[in-house]
Amino acid sequence: MPLYFIDTDDDVLTVYDDQGQDLPGPKVARDMAHLVLPDMARQKLPDSDRRTFKASVRDESGTVLYVATLTLVGEWKVEPPAS
Amino acid sequence: MVPTPALSLNMLIRKLESISRLSDEERRAIERLPITGRHLAAHQDIVREKDRPSQCCLLLEGWACRYQLLSEGKRQIFSFHIPGDIPDLQSLHLKVMDHSVCTVTQATVAFIPHEALRELTAAFPGIAAILWRDTLVDGAIFREWMTGIGRRSALEAVAHLLCELYVKLEAVGLARDHAYRLPLTQADLGDALGLSNVHVNRTLRDLRDNGLITLHGGKLQIDRWQELTGLCDFDATYLHLDRGAV
Repeated sequence: MPLYFIDTDDDVLTVYDDQGQDLPGPKVARDMAHLVLPDMARQKLPDSDRRTFKASVRDESGTVLYVATLTLVGEWKVEPPAS
Repeated sequence: MVPTPALSLNMLIRKLESISRLSDEERRAIERLPITGRHLAAHQDIVREKDRPSQCCLLLEGWACRYQLLSEGKRQIFSFHIPGDIPDLQSLHLKVMDHSVCTVTQATVAFIPHEALRELTAAFPGIAAILWRDTLVDGAIFREWMTGIGRRSALEAVAHLLCELYVKLEAVGLARDHAYRLPLTQADLGDALGLSNVHVNRTLRDLRDNGLITLHGGKLQIDRWQELTGLCDFDATYLHLDRGAV
């Protein structure tokens, strides 16, 4: 089975997958990229009103095949509190 | 499966003595247990959900885990087991298995007939009490895992598991100096902690980048034990060991 590499970034820690995963095809690699995003979002409580979580799929040649992005956007509807 | 010749029940004795002291007579009675040895390959089921076993499986070498399969091939691992453990001890009193047990690595196991264990525990209430305590400690470990899966961050949950495994291995003389062979894959860790294996990879990288652990060729070195235990609030009380490692 071909190797796919899933790189992740949560605005603070970028992790390049140097091991890779034996997967039957790019669609399964995409599913894995989707799967990691909620895990990442759960770990990092946003300290501001915006945070982006990203997971991308590389193939063995280094070509980026797919990028999944989960963005948290918060917006005050009143004057933001002082502290 | 090939029968093994010389088997030693020493691992079981070490395990039981990590829970409580044994008398010489109790130790001799354990050594007399009739056992059947088997070498097993990695990832081989030892006992399956819905089975009605007539024997318990004592792990002599290698690692095993208890697990359950869900639909769509998902797997939840409930516990990891090391030499000296009897992962299906409950089958002595609960007739039908409500989960499965499989090897994680190549393993050597010894099967002990239920009948022999019943006779042993009837003749030696001290041993029965230790086995009872062992199943209670099991319950304590499940509670700790529940907290980990439900409430700890991935970083804390992975750190906590690495600390727990060290203390368990150290207690039976299979680890020291905060280092041990960790034969678990990222998928195993993910299935135990309810995390995707890509996230386990991220988490291990985070621990390594922060200089807390070194993980190379399946060998784990905890470089900063105090900081790792502090990070995840690890407190070994729930393992109820007779002599603590920390």
